[in-house]
Amino acid sequence: MGTISATLIRAGRRFLSSLPALFGVLVFTFLLMRVLPGDPAVFFASGPSAGKEEIEIVRKQLGLDRSLPEQLGIYLYDVGRGNLGRSMMTGQPVARDLRQRLPASLELTLTALVIALIAAVPLGVLAALRPNSLIDHGVRLFCSLGVCVPTFVSGLLLIYVFYYLLGLAPDPTGRIDIFASVPPARTGFLMVDFLLAGDFEGWWAAARQLMLPALTMALFVIAPLARITRASMLVSLGSDFVRTARSIGLSRWQIVVTYALRNAMLPVITIAGIVFSTMLGANVLVEKVFSWPGVASYALDALLVSDYAPVQGFVLLMASIFVVVNLLVDVLYGIADPRATVA
Amino acid sequence: MYPVISRHLISASAVLLSVTLIAPAAHAQSRAETLRYVTAATVNTLDPNIPGSTREAFALSMSSYDRLVSFGRKQLNGRWVFDLDTINGELAESFSISPDGLKLTFKLRPDAKFHDGSPVTAEDVKWSLDRCVTAPVLGKAQLLTGSMTSADQFKVIDPLTFEVTLPRPDKLALPNLATVYPIIINSKLAKSHATPEDPWALSWLKENEAGSGAYVVETFKPGEQAIAKRNEAWNRGSSDKPASFKRLIIQSVPEPATRANLVERGDADLVIDLQASDVQALEAKGKLKVISTPQYNAVTFISMNNKIPPFDNVNVRRAVAAALPYDDMFKAALFGRGAPLFGASWADGKPPSGGYPIPQPVKLDLEKARAYLKEAGVPEGFATTFSFNVGQASTAEPMAALVKESLEKIGIKVDIQKLPDAQMSTSINEKKLPFFTEGIVAWLPSTDYFYRNFYTGTQRWNYSSTDNAELERIAQAARFEPDKAKYEAEGKELNAIHFEQMFQVPLWQPAQDAVMAAKLDGYVYQFTRQVDYRNLSRK
Repeated sequence: MGTISATLIRAGRRFLSSLPALFGVLVFTFLLMRVLPGDPAVFFASGPSAGKEEIEIVRKQLGLDRSLPEQLGIYLYDVGRGNLGRSMMTGQPVARDLRQRLPASLELTLTALVIALIAAVPLGVLAALRPNSLIDHGVRLFCSLGVCVPTFVSGLLLIYVFYYLLGLAPDPTGRIDIFASVPPARTGFLMVDFLLAGDFEGWWAAARQLMLPALTMALFVIAPLARITRASMLVSLGSDFVRTARSIGLSRWQIVVTYALRNAMLPVITIAGIVFSTMLGANVLVEKVFSWPGVASYALDALLVSDYAPVQGFVLLMASIFVVVNLLVDVLYGIADPRATVA
Repeated sequence: MYPVISRHLISASAVLLSVTLIAPAAHAQSRAETLRYVTAATVNTLDPNIPGSTREAFALSMSSYDRLVSFGRKQLNGRWVFDLDTINGELAESFSISPDGLKLTFKLRPDAKFHDGSPVTAEDVKWSLDRCVTAPVLGKAQLLTGSMTSADQFKVIDPLTFEVTLPRPDKLALPNLATVYPIIINSKLAKSHATPEDPWALSWLKENEAGSGAYVVETFKPGEQAIAKRNEAWNRGSSDKPASFKRLIIQSVPEPATRANLVERGDADLVIDLQASDVQALEAKGKLKVISTPQYNAVTFISMNNKIPPFDNVNVRRAVAAALPYDDMFKAALFGRGAPLFGASWADGKPPSGGYPIPQPVKLDLEKARAYLKEAGVPEGFATTFSFNVGQASTAEPMAALVKESLEKIGIKVDIQKLPDAQMSTSINEKKLPFFTEGIVAWLPSTDYFYRNFYTGTQRWNYSSTDNAELERIAQAARFEPDKAKYEAEGKELNAIHFEQMFQVPLWQPAQDAVMAAKLDGYVYQFTRQVDYRNLSRK
């Protein structure tokens, strides 16, 4: 009980101390967008007959005719009320766009991370158990390949093989077959919503749709996870407590999994947290290749056309997620290493 | 406990089994009656009038809304294209123009109904057109080009008769009413969603459709997809029956290679924005139908800002025009897919036609280019930048490299600048770019329209910042010229000035490559450069 409440207090304190950083991100992104060359009013008033007047109309609509401090004030006030502005690109409120798209990105990233962890941790452990053996080199080769092939290449390759040539995968266009019906949106996570609706066929269809993009992303992040597992397992296996365990004749499985691996997990969790946050924002290529309606491709499209509100909303969202993931990693530390909670 | 579970399991698996057995048949049937169109772009509003509307939004609105009139179609070099000179009634059963050309009278179809079942009346037409010229919408600037600027010009005669009064006879008035913006909206429905701040229901109509068109929008997810079902009561098509496809799916698929895969595997029926290399590969395989139509209302230029030195010197512009590697550019950028606007030979140096654009008598001739540079007083050449936007990189990038290489030979050092789309449009609008490539498109492609919009004034579309009093005078005169022969003569004069002054270099009209399932029929190249879904059917 004591440890749980201590964890909670620590998490709360961490969260509060991250608020100034979030505010800084907010103001910085706002200014950055305005400094970038490119006038959204000109871009969006680009019908074949749009002249000066149309540009002015759009500028006024966007509030860009006001002074910068005034714009910032309005923006902060709006964000305070939970209004992130409206996207010119989709014509929707940014908050709604992000709310609809975030589950898509989260679902994809989480699945990819789970696949990556399932593959990376055993690979890392195997490599660490037989350093410089054939297995170790094999793992190294696999990791290097995964990391040096850009995600859009591996993505297109997977599509080519599994969709185009073999016809095993469904067409790579978003989260669900366009002809299938969508379950009532409860969480936004299709894998969950289908289960809640009791539609197992739909669940399977959505899972199939999810496989290729998740695999593409996982391939890319297996390398850092496997390498860090290997390195920290090597340290663990060479340490005194493992030698002691060996000397008192514990089973090999117990030595490796219970003692060495658990102690080696800390850095892996840290890296997994970082990898997750990065993946969420940086998986834009995967989202593009698979027409995945996620937040990253949304932000990129907005950036290209100088659509301020979505980019600002996206950065704010990413910063918040980073804060939350770091908190989560903190809590996981406590589970992996009880000493962390006391500190 | 256990029996309960197993009973559940049995019924669940029974349901699952029956679903799996029935689903494919139903799926196949609905698939055949569905048109699945994939595109890189996205529908971002259901009302095409909203500033910022995408071309996909225009295309969907052509199917969800009716207009008073619509363009017919004609054959151009064996391919169907829209025909500016044939105007058919859409919501109008018939229409007439008064002898003095000042009054357009429209008789509405008595059987036309909005999607909610209420009849289309002249009141709705008046409200919709009033909105078009009064509200802060895109239609305003468009209808201005047809001399329609004020709500006073629109009059309801009786519930089925509507009249437009013009300040002067204007041949573009009627075609304007067939363009994207003057949609006829269910005014009662729209008004019920209007607010004091938003009397024209702009924000409601952006997300809700209140039309009478061939398709009823069912699902609209900006950035992902729009799905529409057929309006069974619609009879405004040329053959007086509803559209052929029961369902219409417009889906955003950003990756061009994926779009190519989808259409090749038969999972998508139609795509018009593939990369030229993919189109060529698919055409070679011969499984799909590829219709390549040169976009006859569009032009790609290499533009020079006539106000920025050294391009203010006509001989520098001529030197550039003589130093461009036209054939190589055409092959590298478009894979030869389009209609070239170079390499013509004009008998006795005069333009053979008053149309626009026409092939120019320009070709790669470095000797001549050097001579022009000498004449311009810069025999050593100069340094400049050549800009293009990221969105056009697939064609502009190879082109830019060739321009750089070729101009280097006559001493012009070119620095290639690749700009994000918004930045490019801003720089063009502010007239800051000396040398760049861009394209133009006109919905109502007539010679005077091109010259008035793209060669006069200070607005964005005057890429070359042309300021030529004579050109402006002739173009304005041609605007209201009723006599066809005189109009043609004026067009020739304009073309002669253009070539003489070499404001910018027209390169080509890129082809629109529509790649579709072999059984798809009825594709027509439209003024919107998009697909009109109502035309299509499956054989």
